Amino acid sequence: MGGIEIENLHFTYPSRNTPTLRGIEAKVDLEAFILLTGPTGCGKSTLLRTLNGLIPHASGGKLSGSVRVNGASVAEQPIAVTCQQVGLLFQNPEEQLFCLIVEDEVAFGLENLGLSSHEINQRIDSALTQVGLAEFRSRQIASLSSGQKQRVALACVCAMQPQILLLDEPTSYLDPQATYDILAIIRDLNRKLGITVIVVGHQVNEIAPLCSRVWLMNEGKLVSDLPIDQAFTDLKPYSQLGVQVPELAQIAEQLGFPERPLTLNHAVRLFENSPQDPKQSRFYQAEASDRLLSPDSASEEDGLADLTPSVTPSNPENPVNPDNIVASVQGLTFRYPQKGSQEPSSADALKNISFQVKPGEVVAIMGANGSGKTTLFLQLISLLRPSAGQVLIKGQDTRRSKPRHLAGQVGIVFQNPDLLLQAATVAEEVAFGPKNFRLARQEVEERLEKILRMFDLEALKMEVPYALSRGQRQRTAVAANFSLYPDLLLLDEPTTGQDYYHLQQLMQMLCDTMKTQNKTVIFCTHDVHLTLTYANRVLLLHRGALIFDGTPDAAFANPEYLKQASLVPPLTMQLQGFQNDTPPASHENRSPRNR
Amino acid sequence: MIRLQPHTKIVLLAIVSCLVILLDSPIALFVCFLVSLCFQALIPPSWHQMRLLILFIGLGTWGLIYSQAIFYNEFPRTVIFTLIHKDTPIIGGMTGGVHLYREGLLHGTVQSLRFNTTLTISCFIIWTTQPRDLLLTLVKLRVPYSLAFMVTTGLRYIPLIGSEAKTVIRSQQLRGFRYLQFNFLHTISGILNSLRPILTNNIRRATHLSEAVESRAFAPDAAHRTSLRELKTGQPDVILITLLLVCLLSVIGLKSVYFLYANGLYYASWLRGAYTFAREVL
Repeated sequence: MGGIEIENLHFTYPSRNTPTLRGIEAKVDLEAFILLTGPTGCGKSTLLRTLNGLIPHASGGKLSGSVRVNGASVAEQPIAVTCQQVGLLFQNPEEQLFCLIVEDEVAFGLENLGLSSHEINQRIDSALTQVGLAEFRSRQIASLSSGQKQRVALACVCAMQPQILLLDEPTSYLDPQATYDILAIIRDLNRKLGITVIVVGHQVNEIAPLCSRVWLMNEGKLVSDLPIDQAFTDLKPYSQLGVQVPELAQIAEQLGFPERPLTLNHAVRLFENSPQDPKQSRFYQAEASDRLLSPDSASEEDGLADLTPSVTPSNPENPVNPDNIVASVQGLTFRYPQKGSQEPSSADALKNISFQVKPGEVVAIMGANGSGKTTLFLQLISLLRPSAGQVLIKGQDTRRSKPRHLAGQVGIVFQNPDLLLQAATVAEEVAFGPKNFRLARQEVEERLEKILRMFDLEALKMEVPYALSRGQRQRTAVAANFSLYPDLLLLDEPTTGQDYYHLQQLMQMLCDTMKTQNKTVIFCTHDVHLTLTYANRVLLLHRGALIFDGTPDAAFANPEYLKQASLVPPLTMQLQGFQNDTPPASHENRSPRNR
Repeated sequence: MIRLQPHTKIVLLAIVSCLVILLDSPIALFVCFLVSLCFQALIPPSWHQMRLLILFIGLGTWGLIYSQAIFYNEFPRTVIFTLIHKDTPIIGGMTGGVHLYREGLLHGTVQSLRFNTTLTISCFIIWTTQPRDLLLTLVKLRVPYSLAFMVTTGLRYIPLIGSEAKTVIRSQQLRGFRYLQFNFLHTISGILNSLRPILTNNIRRATHLSEAVESRAFAPDAAHRTSLRELKTGQPDVILITLLLVCLLSVIGLKSVYFLYANGLYYASWLRGAYTFAREVL
């Protein structure tokens, strides 16, 4: 008897009254590829942990029901045995790698199994080859990109030679190219080696085409378990839960097609045979109004294959009043000091970057992992100082100004919102800034009330921030910054760990409010859809250099920029490219990197 | 650069620690300190590491010499400088006068040389040893595997914690908090509040790391654990350990002989050179 059998599985975490898993019943066949989706906090990650034995072996809590892997009960066999059958890859590569050298990291699990050094060496080579890192065996992990680190983490799992691979949002920290690389490896593991895969992820456009089944969870229950060809026939259950569905399936539904294409080729075939012109559809028109489809700009920019940076920060004929500039970056170059070596670091993290940001702008900074987005943010809050050039915030040079000079003018929400949360309650967290500025008590209370209502935090105001869900923590962090009404608000990767519904809710409310108040938002992201929907300007970074500064439409219409910034345009835009016979860079016509 | 095995470095630290306790003379301790600097020169350290080492040595030397020079309470003691005269109004009466003592300075110098020597050797070990090698060594030295794993993994995360602390401090400052202010309680409460996100984040990270480790068959007893790498003692290791042991045994021998002589327990005229060397140099 092979595969996984889950029977009436219930689980309650210690110190919680309500169960996280409520009567899960499912069966996973060998060689299946399952997409496990559902809203944030529905129990997806918990379910994965019960499948590889972390629950109950490495966790407290109350477990009932059973999970059987190849006929053996996971709760009854040691985790060291289960982990050779079921491998689990986590979300953040930084939190699962702890050695300095790649081979040491991959060897760790094998050493724990007590294998001989000969066997360990063989398995390291094999696992690194599987993930396309055969040449990286002796490399320092710190020198790898995020995508490569996640591949090392995958190699660690593969080295244990599991028959079942569980992936808990494996691509949420990665840029689109790295996402593609990881998913391509996983697809090969499934199709060539017959490894069963269960993957949790919000990037359904990329994952769904690889799957054989889709599981939809809500409030600890498996609400649907369908083969891929039927999974998206009815999209209502997904939209009701705020869960993202494949974009092409959504278009097909809007156009009234019974089929649900998941790949671009399938969609093109389907729509070509349709008597209806997709561009005339309600969906397309709605998308166009959001600038998702901008035929004019796209056709103008198509075919621009030169690598000349297109940076048009301001119109020289209409010079901007210097007093009206929120942030001005001029010739910014930055090189990290190399620790542990006499040699300087090999490359500039930022190279001669210049741009200006005006009030009321919503600017997206995009680029591959390691392209310098976060470094640029750290420059804007003067946590790092330029090696050359200057950064002016409201006219103040960050090299000379002290942090208190920027206080209240600049707010930042890091990719990890926990670094911002320090108060005992949500209300105290939000009131922290205004109190520091010694505002009158009445004003603090008025702001608190207004902002809690604005960010939908009223019901949580007496809760401990750390006890909230990730989405709620992020909202609290944004609200805490927003309470000072900063002129410039910086959001570092707001999509990480967020489901589609909460992300949209947060961004919509934030961008609307900031625009209304003529304030500026700068966010960095890999999500093209987010940029197209909310930003009116995009800065593309490539290896520390600013390669594009302009409107999102112009940026995403140029395949060369997309390639350099490691981005993938929305499928609607790719579809239009197909219709114009000039398909932009997509997952289906990309080649893997570093393989 | 000569590559030393991690266990050799641990032995080096252990023997140097013993030597700096056994030795009393500033000259001998200074020689030890110079030797420890020679080990640093073997790396050689980066500018960042060098700055860090100079900072620690500077702070240690200043703190120990200054505090010992002022607060030395053994007798005899010789005043070489008066900071606050006992006749100074109020503060003079309260303190009974504050003086710098020559014997205190000497004692502080000895203590700072001891501290700096062990600090320099410790930095040499940390900067030249991979956590994984350190783990192997500690396990070889019969430190429980789970403890050794915890220590070496903890070391690996120290720089990350440092950078997170900077981020937390800056985000607090951007929200208008001032760490240095007249209201001392406010400052303390702000610092404690800043610790909260750092601690929480580390607990969260530790939880995730432990899950990743458990998922790779980690067992605290490591009874059946094997290792990809093996620690092989080479010629430089043998030579260094031999030299160190000879030094240690010589110092113990000379100190013992001098102790017997000084306490009137044993005297031999042919050992007079040893007595002089022990008294003057060690």
